Amino acid sequence: MDLPVIPTPVFDRWVWMEEFTFSHIPIAAVITAWMFLAPILELIGYRKRDLRYDRLSKSLVYFSMILFSPGAALGTGIPFLIIGLYPEFWARWANMFFWPLIFQFILFTMEVLFLFNFYYLTWDKTMHRKRTHIACGFIAALMGELIQLIWDGIGSYMLTPGGVPLPAVNEPVGFSLAGYLNPSFLSLFLHRSFGNLSFTLLLAGGVFAFRHMRHRVPTEKAYYGFAADVTFTLGFLFFFAQPVIGWFYARVIQGEAPVAFIAMMGGHAWYYFIPKLLLILVFVFIAGTYVFVRHRDKPWLLGAISIGLASFYVIFLNHPPLRVFGSPLAWRIAYTAGILGFIAYLWFVRWRGPALRVPGWQIFLLVAGLASTAVFFFGGNMRERVRSPQTVYGWLEKPEATDYERNRFLTYEKCIGCHIRSPRDLVLPAGETWNQRVAAEARRPEVSLSDEEVVRIASYLEEVDK
Amino acid sequence: MNLELGFMSAKGFIAFLGLFHTAVASLAIGLAFMVTFAELVGYRYRIRRHDLFAKRTQLFHVCIYNIGTINAIGLVFALSGLFPQFWEQFFVHFHWVMIVEEFIFFLLATTITFHYFFWDYVWGHKKLHLFLGALLTPLFFFQFYFINAVGSFMLTPGNFQEGTLSLSVGVLGWDRLGFFNPSFMMLQLHRVFANISYGGFFIAGWCGIRLYFHSADPVKKAYYEDNGRLSFYVAFMSFLALPIVGFFYSAVLMRNADEAFWNLMMGRGDVVKAGIDLWWLKHLFVAAMVGGGLGYFSRKAAALASGERFSVPNALIYAVAVFYFIYYLCMGLIMTWAFFLWSLAFAVGGYLLSRHMVNYGKGSSRAPFLMMGLLSFGTVMLGGWSREAARPRFDENRHSAYDKLYIPAERQPYLMVDLQPPELTDSPAGAPVAVVAPPNAASLIAGRCVGCHDLQRVRNYRGDDWPKVVNTMVVYGTKLDEEEKRLVVEHLSAGLSF
Repeated sequence: MDLPVIPTPVFDRWVWMEEFTFSHIPIAAVITAWMFLAPILELIGYRKRDLRYDRLSKSLVYFSMILFSPGAALGTGIPFLIIGLYPEFWARWANMFFWPLIFQFILFTMEVLFLFNFYYLTWDKTMHRKRTHIACGFIAALMGELIQLIWDGIGSYMLTPGGVPLPAVNEPVGFSLAGYLNPSFLSLFLHRSFGNLSFTLLLAGGVFAFRHMRHRVPTEKAYYGFAADVTFTLGFLFFFAQPVIGWFYARVIQGEAPVAFIAMMGGHAWYYFIPKLLLILVFVFIAGTYVFVRHRDKPWLLGAISIGLASFYVIFLNHPPLRVFGSPLAWRIAYTAGILGFIAYLWFVRWRGPALRVPGWQIFLLVAGLASTAVFFFGGNMRERVRSPQTVYGWLEKPEATDYERNRFLTYEKCIGCHIRSPRDLVLPAGETWNQRVAAEARRPEVSLSDEEVVRIASYLEEVDK
Repeated sequence: MNLELGFMSAKGFIAFLGLFHTAVASLAIGLAFMVTFAELVGYRYRIRRHDLFAKRTQLFHVCIYNIGTINAIGLVFALSGLFPQFWEQFFVHFHWVMIVEEFIFFLLATTITFHYFFWDYVWGHKKLHLFLGALLTPLFFFQFYFINAVGSFMLTPGNFQEGTLSLSVGVLGWDRLGFFNPSFMMLQLHRVFANISYGGFFIAGWCGIRLYFHSADPVKKAYYEDNGRLSFYVAFMSFLALPIVGFFYSAVLMRNADEAFWNLMMGRGDVVKAGIDLWWLKHLFVAAMVGGGLGYFSRKAAALASGERFSVPNALIYAVAVFYFIYYLCMGLIMTWAFFLWSLAFAVGGYLLSRHMVNYGKGSSRAPFLMMGLLSFGTVMLGGWSREAARPRFDENRHSAYDKLYIPAERQPYLMVDLQPPELTDSPAGAPVAVVAPPNAASLIAGRCVGCHDLQRVRNYRGDDWPKVVNTMVVYGTKLDEEEKRLVVEHLSAGLSF
C-alpha cells in the first residue's frame, strides 16, 4: 500500500517518536497511579479520623490536576506524529482497534468529569459527605485504570500479536478481541500497574523527604515526614509484585516473541536491561535499609519484605549468566550469595537500627525515587526497542529498517533453536570465516536456512565481530 | 469497504464530535481573553471582585479545556477509523503544521495550568501573574492560526479539488500553498472576533443565570451584575468586527468555493436539516443579538451616562447596527429580500424584547445576559455546522482509494521531498513511484510561478513584454536560471498553454 512516509528533520524517525512518547507516558503513569491511590488514602484517613491522610490524598490529586492538561496535550500529539511518520502502521492498527480507541475516548471524558468536577473541586464542599466524595474518587480511579487497560491491550499486541494478523489498510476490522486479549495483555497490564504505583510512590516519597529536610515549621516538618514514610514504604511494597509478574511476562515474551526475548536477554537491548537491574539494586538497597530501620518494630512487614527479596532470584534465573566472574557457575554463586547477604544485612540493620540514623537520609530517599523513575524509563524503552526492526512483531516492519537490523532479527530468529541464550554464545572457530561457519551450520539436517539467509546471518555476525 | 458505527452515520458522528470540539475550543479561546481582561481590570482599578471572578472563570476554563483536549483526541481516533483516506491525505499536506500546533498546544496547556493553580502562590507578584495570563490569548491565537489554516484549506483549497490529493512516498508534510489558501486570513479574523464575542457573551449568560439565583443577596447581585456587564461589553465590541470580516469572507468563498457559497446562499445540501436552513437561522440569531444588544444599551444609557465604569461609546454601538444593516442588505441582494426582511424583523424583535426584559427585571441585566449567551452559543454551533456542511461531500467510499490519486503538477515542488530516484524506488510497499520529469517550460511555469500567485494571473496577462515580466519576477525571488528563464519567456511569448 502506497502510503506516505514523511521524512523527519534533524533526528531519525524513531527518535522523534520515542521522545514524544516519553514526554507523555511518565505523566500519564503518575496521574493514573496517584488517582488510584488518592481515594484509598482518603478512605484510610476517613476511617482512622486522621486528617493527614486527607491532606496527602488531596495533594496527590492536586499534583495530578497540574499534570493533567500538559499530559493530555502531549498525548494528543502522539497520534499526530504516528499518522505522519508511521502511516501504514497507524492505518492498519486503527482499523483493528477502532472501537477500543473510541471507548477509551469516552472513558477519558468520564475521567475528567469525575476527577475535576466531582472529586477535586468538590473536596471541601463535600466534607460532610465524605463517602460520596470517596466514591467519586474511586470512579475517577476506575476510569483511569480502564483507560490503561485499553492501551495495554492494544499496545501489547504490537509485541505479542499471538498469531492474529494485522488487517490491511483497506480492511476495516473495527475490533479484534483475539488481538486485544493477546498473550502478553494481562502481564503487561499488571506489570505496568504495579510498576506505576511503585515508581511514582517512591518518587513522591523522595520528594516529600526532601521537603521534610528543608522545612523549618515543626508541624509542616512532621507532616512531610509522615507523607514521605507512607508513600515511600507503600512504593517499596508495591515493587515486590514486579519480579513475580515480570517473570510471567518474560515467559510470555519468550514463547510469543522469542526474538524480542533474546534481544532483551543478552541481545542488542542488554544495555537497557542490565542498567535497569543495577538501578533496581540501588533503590532496593536504600529502601530496604530505610524500611528496616524505620519499621523495625513490625516483624511481619520485614518478614514479608525478606520473602519478596528472595523472589528476585527468578530474574537472575531468567537472565543468561554474565561472564563477569568467568564461569556461569561462579555467576550463580555470586548472585545467590548476594541476595542472601543482602537479606542478612537488612536484619543486621534492623538490630543496629537506632545507631544507624544518619543526617541527610532524606537525600538517599530522593535518590531511590529518582532511581526507580529511571528504571521505569529503561523498562519502557526496552520493551519498545526489542521488537526492532518490526513495529508489530511478525506482521509489519518499520519504514526505516536497515539491512543490519533485518539481518540481526533473522540471526536471532534462526539461531535461537540451538543457541538459546544469547547471540554472543555463537563462537567462530579459529581459521574460519562467518560465511563458512554459517554455511556449515546450514547443512545440518535440523537447520533450515536458504542461501540468502546464510549470507545475511554471516553478514550480521561479521558486523558484530567488528 | 467502510467502517460503520451502527448507531449513527459516520458523517453524523464526526459532525457531533466536531461541533462539540468547536463549542468548547472556541469558548476556551474567548475565556482566555476574558480572564486576562477581568484580572487586569481588577488589578488596575483595585476591584477585588473582578480578580475573584477572573479566577473562578479560569477554573471553569481549566475544566472545559481538558474536555476539549480529550474531545480532540476522540476526533483524531474517529477520523482515523471512519475517514482514513481523508485523514491520511490531510497529513500528507499538514503533518508538520499539526506537530507545531501540538507544541503550542502543550505550551498553552502548561501556561493555563500554572496560571490557575499558582494564582494565590504568586499573589505578591501580580504583574508576573498578569503576564502569564496575557500569554494565553496570543498562544491560543497562534495555535488556531495553524488549525484554521488547515481547516480553511478544506473549504478553499485553491486549485485543489477534494479527492484529488495524493498519497505517495517521500511527501514532505508541509503544503505552503495549501496552508495560505484563499480563505485562510478571513477565517482567522472571523474566528478571533467571534471567539472573543462568544466567550464574553457566554460568561455574561452565566452571570445572568447566577443573578436569577442570587437576586436577594445584594453583594452577590452586585458581583454578577458588574462582572457580567464587563464581559458583555467586551463581547459586544468584538461583535462589531464580525459583519466586516464576514462580508469579505463571503466574497472569498464566492470566488474560491463556488459550490459551497451557493449551497449557503440558496440553502442546498446539508446546510438544510429537517427543512430548516441552518445558515439562515444562524443569521436570524445574529440579527436578534444585534437588536438585543442595542435594546440593552439604549435601556442602560442612563446608567452609562451617570458615570459607570467600562461603558461602551454610543458611536460604537450604533456602528455595529449600521455595519450589520449593510451586511444584511448585501446578503439580501444576493439571496432573497425575505432574508433581509426576516433579519430586520428579528433585530427589531430582539431590541424590543431586550428593553422589555430589563424593565421587567427592574433594571437587572440577567435576562438579556442569558438571552445573548444562548443566542451566541447557537450562532457558534450553527455557523460551524454551516461552514462544514456547505462543502461538497466525500465520495461514498471513504476508504481504499489511495492508489487512484495523484498530485497535480503545480504542487509537486511543494509536496515532494527532493529524494534521489534510488530512494524513491525503495518504498516500503515496493510500489512504482512517479518520478518528476525533467523540467520543461510548462512545468517550470506551473511549478515556480504559483509560489506567489496562481496561474490564472499569468493567463490573464495581456501584455507581450514577457522578458521584462519574467526578469521582474526573478528579482522578486522566483528561482530560475538563465536557461530556464529563456524557456519560460519563449513559451509565454508564443502563447502556448501551461
